[in-house]
This record gives sequence, C-alpha cells and structure tokens, in this order.
Amino acid sequence: MNRINQLFEKKKNNVLSIYYTAGYPGLGDTVAIAEALEESGADMLEIGFPYSDPVADGPVIQASSKHALDSGMTLDLLFKQLKELRNKVTVPVLLMGYVNPVLQYGVENFCKACAEAGVDGCIVPDLPMYEYEELYQDVFLKYDICNVFLVTPQTSEERIRKIDGLSKGFIYLLSSSATTGQNLQVSDTTSAYFSRIKAMGLKNPTMIGFGISSKETFDKACLYANGGIIGTAFVKSLQSPDPAKGVRSFMEEFTGTVSSLS
Amino acid sequence: MKAGLKVCGMRDAMNIQAVTALHPAYIGFIFYPGSARYVGSVDPELLTSIPATIKTTGVFVNAALEEVKRLIALYQLKAVQLHGAESPEYCAALQPYTEVIKAFGINYSFDFETLTAYEKVTSYFLFDTLTVNHGGSGKRFDWSLLKQYRLNHPYFLSGGIGPDDVNELASIDDKRLHFIDVNSRFEKSPGLKDIELLSTFFTLWNAAPAAKNYNDMNYFVNEKGYYGDFGGAYIPEMLYPNVEELRQHYLEIINAPDFQQEFRALLKDYVGRPSPLYLAKRLSEKYNANIFLKREDLNHTGAHKINNTIGQILLAEKLGKKRIIAETGAGQHGVATATVCALRGLECVVYMGEIDIQRQAPNVARMKMLGAKVVSAVSGSKTLKDATNEAMRDWINNPVDTHYIIGSVVGPHPYPDMVALFQSVISEETKKQLLEQTGNDQPDYVLACVGGGSNAMGMFYHFINDKDVKLIAVEAAGKGVHSGHSAATTALGKEGVLHGSRSILMQTEDGQVIEPYSISAGLDYPGIGPQHAHLFKTTRAEYVSVSDEESLDAGLLLTQLEGIIPAIESAHALAYLEKMEFTGKENVVVCLSGRGDKDMETYMKHFGF
Repeated sequence: MNRINQLFEKKKNNVLSIYYTAGYPGLGDTVAIAEALEESGADMLEIGFPYSDPVADGPVIQASSKHALDSGMTLDLLFKQLKELRNKVTVPVLLMGYVNPVLQYGVENFCKACAEAGVDGCIVPDLPMYEYEELYQDVFLKYDICNVFLVTPQTSEERIRKIDGLSKGFIYLLSSSATTGQNLQVSDTTSAYFSRIKAMGLKNPTMIGFGISSKETFDKACLYANGGIIGTAFVKSLQSPDPAKGVRSFMEEFTGTVSSLS
Repeated sequence: MKAGLKVCGMRDAMNIQAVTALHPAYIGFIFYPGSARYVGSVDPELLTSIPATIKTTGVFVNAALEEVKRLIALYQLKAVQLHGAESPEYCAALQPYTEVIKAFGINYSFDFETLTAYEKVTSYFLFDTLTVNHGGSGKRFDWSLLKQYRLNHPYFLSGGIGPDDVNELASIDDKRLHFIDVNSRFEKSPGLKDIELLSTFFTLWNAAPAAKNYNDMNYFVNEKGYYGDFGGAYIPEMLYPNVEELRQHYLEIINAPDFQQEFRALLKDYVGRPSPLYLAKRLSEKYNANIFLKREDLNHTGAHKINNTIGQILLAEKLGKKRIIAETGAGQHGVATATVCALRGLECVVYMGEIDIQRQAPNVARMKMLGAKVVSAVSGSKTLKDATNEAMRDWINNPVDTHYIIGSVVGPHPYPDMVALFQSVISEETKKQLLEQTGNDQPDYVLACVGGGSNAMGMFYHFINDKDVKLIAVEAAGKGVHSGHSAATTALGKEGVLHGSRSILMQTEDGQVIEPYSISAGLDYPGIGPQHAHLFKTTRAEYVSVSDEESLDAGLLLTQLEGIIPAIESAHALAYLEKMEFTGKENVVVCLSGRGDKDMETYMKHFGF
C-alpha cells in the first residue's frame, strides 16, 4: 500500500504536511531538510521542483524557485538527490510542481523515477483533469503514484465528486482562490465551504493548504479536514544559515501544538 | 469528392421531368401546406417513376408523424427533410422508414450544441438560412458561422444559393459538406424551375475543380479546445471557474446579433474600420509583385490590438465583470485595453515588466492618462512573460469580478479561438477588398509577423481553408536565430506548455522557459499561439524569421518608398519580401499591423537621424 494511504489509515486528524522547494536554500539541502522535518514531527512532505513561470505561487515560493533554478536545480538532479531519500526518511513524500518540466522529462519517465526514489505522489496544479484522465492516469496507476487534485471554494460539487473519483491519496483543499502565501482567514464563507466539503462525505481524505502559516490557522484547518499543509511560512523560515536548525526551530512551535491536540 | 446537388420545390409534371433529366442526387418535394411551393396532392406515379439513383425527398414542417409515414409509403420517398421543431425522438421514429435529413435555420445566435442530440438519429443535417417561413427566403446565411460546427456529421448547404456561387462553393474545403441544395434562385416563378439556369449551374459545378488539396485537416479548434496536438487549458484549479465560464459562453455571446451589432459599430465608428487595403506601388515595383498593405496601423491607438480589446470588453460586460486586467510587453495591448476601459468606464489594471516600463515610458504615460493602473512585474526576467504570469496571479486572487483581456492568441482555451475570432475582421475585410481591387479574393501570398501571433491569425483566418493561398508567418530572429538572442520560436522551440496551452515554446532541456530577445518588444515572446503551432506542424503555413537589422532596413525602405513608418513588428513581415522571388504577377498581402511612432527612438538610434 502506498505510504500516503497508510498514513491516513492510522492518522485521521491533525496530519501535518510541509512544503519546501528542492534546491533551496542550498542546492544539496533537499534530503537533509526532509530528514530534519521527519525528525521534528512532520507527517508528510511535499517537495517542490522549481519552474521558471510558477503562476500559482506568491512571491516567497517564486523567489525560492528562482534561487533553486539559478543554483542549477533540475528534475534530473532532483531524482539523483532523492536516491538517498528512502535510506533516511520514512514519511510519505510528494513532488509538487508545474506540468511543463514533467512533460519534457516524459510523464512515464517521471512516474518511474518517482517510484524508484520512493516518492508516493505528486501535485501538478496545471495538469488538467481532462488530460490526466485521458492521457496519463494509466501511467500514474502503473507506478502507484497518487496524483493529488486541488479544490477551491469556487469548484462545483459535480466537479469535486469527479475529482474524488479520480483521486487516490488525498484531496488538496485551497482555503481560498489565491496564489500561495496569503493568510488564511476563516470567515463565514470559508467555514461554510469547508463544512460543505466535509458534509459531502468524500472517499478521499482532505488536507487544507494555502494560507496556513501559524499554529492557530493550522488548528482551524484541522477542524474541517484531516490536516493542513504549510508552505510559504516554512520556506520563509529557511533563510537562516543552518537550514536543519531552522527546520527544528520552526517545527518546535508547530509540533508542540500538534502533539497537544493529538 | 465534390458535393452532390439537390434541387427542391417543384410541382409541375413537365418541370419535374426536366429536372430529373439533369440527374441531381436528390429531388425535393415540399409537403408543407404553408409553402409557396407546396406540392399538393400530386400523382404518386410522377414521383415513383423517378429513377432510383435520384433520391426523392419529402420536405415537412412539424407534420404529424403518422401523416409523414403515410406519405413516405404513398410516394415511396427515399428521404425526408424536416424543417420544423421536430425532436430527436421524432427523427428516430422515422429512421426505420427512410433517410432522415434534419434542417436547421442558421443565424448568429444559433447554438451549434443543439445538433449533438440529432447526430445519431439523422443521416444528414441541412443548414439553411433562418426565416420565419422555415426556409425559401432566397437569402444566404453567413457561411463563416459554420466554423462553429464541430461534429463530423455530413450536411447539406442550403439557403439562397444562386447561379453565380459556383466558385465560392467549390472553394469550401469541408469534407462534411456532402450536398448543395438549390431552390428559389433558379426559378421563373415559385415552384417552376428555370431549366436553362439549372443546366448551366450543373455544367459549371461539374467542371469546377474539386476543393483544392481537399483533405481531412481541420485547422480550427475542436470541441475539446485543441488544434491537433496543441491548445487545451493547462490551468490550476483556481482559474478553472473563470476559464470554464468563458468557454461555456463565448461563442453564444459573440454570435448574438446585438453583440455583433455593437462590436461592428464600434469597429466602424470608434476604431475607424474597415482599414484600407493599399496597393503600395513603389514597393510593388521594387519587388516585382503587387504588394497590398493591410493598414491596421491606421486603427485608433495605432495597431490591430484594439480589434480584440473592443471585442473582449463587450464580452466582459455581458459576463457582468467590473474589473479588467491585462498584460503588456511594449505597451500596445496595455494602451488598447486602457482605451476600451476608459470608453466603457471599467476599472483597469495593466501588468508590465519592470524593464519594459523603463524602456516604453510613453506608453506607460498613455495608460496612466487613460486611467489605468500600471503594475510593475518584478518577478523572473521582468518582461512580457512575467507580466503575463502576474496577470494570471491577479486573476487567481480575484476569481469573481475580474476579466483578463489576453492580448494575443495565447493562453488557455477559449482565449486563442476568441482572440482569433475578434482579429479575423482583418482577413474578412481583406478578402472583400481584394475582390473589389483585383477581381479575386485569393492572393498568392499572405504575410504577417508573429510574436504570440494575433495579427497573423487575424490576417490568416479567412484564408486558412483557401489552399492556394500561401501563408507566411515571420518570426523575430533577433541578432540571429542561433545567436542566443532570438525570439524565433518555431526554429528554436519544442512542444510544451506555456501560459495555459500546449504549444511550441523556447525552453531548456529541463522544461524551463527561455527568455527571448527581439528589438521589437511586440515579438519578444518565448511561445506562439496553439493554432500557429498547428499551422506550423501541419505545414499549412510557413514559419520563417528575419533579424533585427533586416527589419529595421525594411522599416526604413517602406518609409522612404511609401511614406509610411511601420512598427518594427510589422517591418519584420516586410523584411521577408526581400527574400522572396516574384514574376511580376503575384498578389501579395502584408499585414501592416501597427505604426512606427512608438519605435522612433529605436529607428533614430539605429540610423543615426
């Protein structure tokens, strides 16, 4: 069974997933950060592979992507780095990025490389559902790579049902229609949206992301979903000279809260 | 295979026999009492004696099913043609008895989606001019509306086809067009066919060349938003509702008569269309060909960009949007957008690369004076592609009240098709003007410059299915195609996804987008629209490139021979004339997409004026 499915089988609440950009801050930091995150209590990791034109990202992740690209990060190099991954990390790992680098790498090559590295899933926001279903689903299934779809407050119920049918892993709920790095404001409308999704009784677990930057917002997210995803706030914290230390101090604040809740 | 002919609406015995002698594929009889050509209670013998190789067809309008079945049996009708509001179930009920042809009256608001339900229950569709009397008006509908017809079901073309239409009909390159239906334009009086006219038409039709290079290729978008391998909507979920809203409504809105009326009126009275098609005499002498310039530079705001922004702002209003965003490189599209926002009183935000803001100060000032907010894009390379990224991010963050006016035939479906439709007025006018000026609406060559490709797509649009017309798209080679400072996308690019569609783009092995270079800011884009990628891959159009230097020289040449200072973008198209060979007979159309005022500094610097 895929590690993502295993995770949600044993942990239904307060699942903490952390996003960071491969090759940032140091080109060779990818696996070391993963290791430090697992040690500090992260339940799942999303490693971003950088792209030159990240339209769904706000300034912080844009900057980390540009930094990584300028340092020489490529998908090819990332997969080389990830050969070490499963010697050091046991939590589920997803790759997150844009569709063009995946197409150039070759979708089949990409899924194969993921499987070989022990990557469990991927999130490709600009890979449309239609193309996934028609062209690529079989390849993803062949290599047991969970493709994670996004849902926003504007996504129709019919479409959410369709996404639920195509997903195996979890569904990524965006707190609002926004680029990454905004603040989660749980207003009446967002809580109505989260409650609406919860009431749909989807077969897949849900994780709330975009705008989760603090214990407080993470806790709010966990009221409505199986857990939350922290991206921008974590990437920001990596600017210290010793990333592993940065990881621990960032996570201390979080895991304190998480463990007290669980 | 050339389309067969159908003659419809006879009732006189002698006349029926004379038409039969011409041997059309179908002969139609009108069983609708409301028609001036109602056949009445004609002797069954007259119809049953018609040779079996000609399909006798009964034409009905909302008749009772049992009555139709009775008449099929009585007259041994080989086909029925249904002109009323007959349902798919009705058609299905008749299918066991005879061939079913369902007729549809076409006008600008016709919803082609209606047809899907009829595909399986009919043998053919028949497209006719929409009239209250269910056909027979003697008037043609706008055949270009059939570009929206995307099913593979064969059809009859009907409505007002006359004796002079042979050449135009022969040029329709659509393998789904199986039959041509003629009626009232070949009559001495209602119901009485002019055999002489018909006979001449049959002779001419049979002699006309089959649609040239007739093939299966469709160069326009399909129902999934693809042009062959290219197109689609590669967008994050956050953009899906906006793009889907557009996709569902754009054709319906654009084709509605009130929209068309307003759009056309603004193009005429505000933009100043039609733009002239000018035979450039001295340039023609120099190149030994008849060179026609399509003067988009004479439009309000100085380029073709305004055709699209007028269309999109009207569309945004229909969708109830209150806020407009746009990206711009050189500032031409930004100015065209700010202009229409001022005209319609809508809020306007234009994203522009920080570097472009510095090098295009006059356009920044124009946008500000027009009331737009100009936002500097400071990410990435700080030029057009980053301005586009910023505009998309804005749209993601404002999912409800905002419309994004993309300035070229790029972006997720339906943008490439929508922008092409608005720009297609360029070739629509050119065809009419060529016909008036040369007696032939098809030139030998059509040239246009390509960045994203909106002026080229507008210039090519109505020529794409004219297979004898050679289409040439001129890209910017910058300092040389392989100099590392170029925007020659088809020469340097590979297939991939940029800004929401699958196309050809300049990129690294790893799929990172490469920053292009051209002296012309309007061509400085790392991709081309998906329809261009399709025209390139299928070789329907030829993609070539010229350098900075060559285009500047061509700009100077046009200025000094014709007294027209072209935009450096347009000068790229002109520069390619230098590399062509002519015999003196060719008609060549070049899209002069914009005027050169904005480029004076560059010209001055280069030539040392």
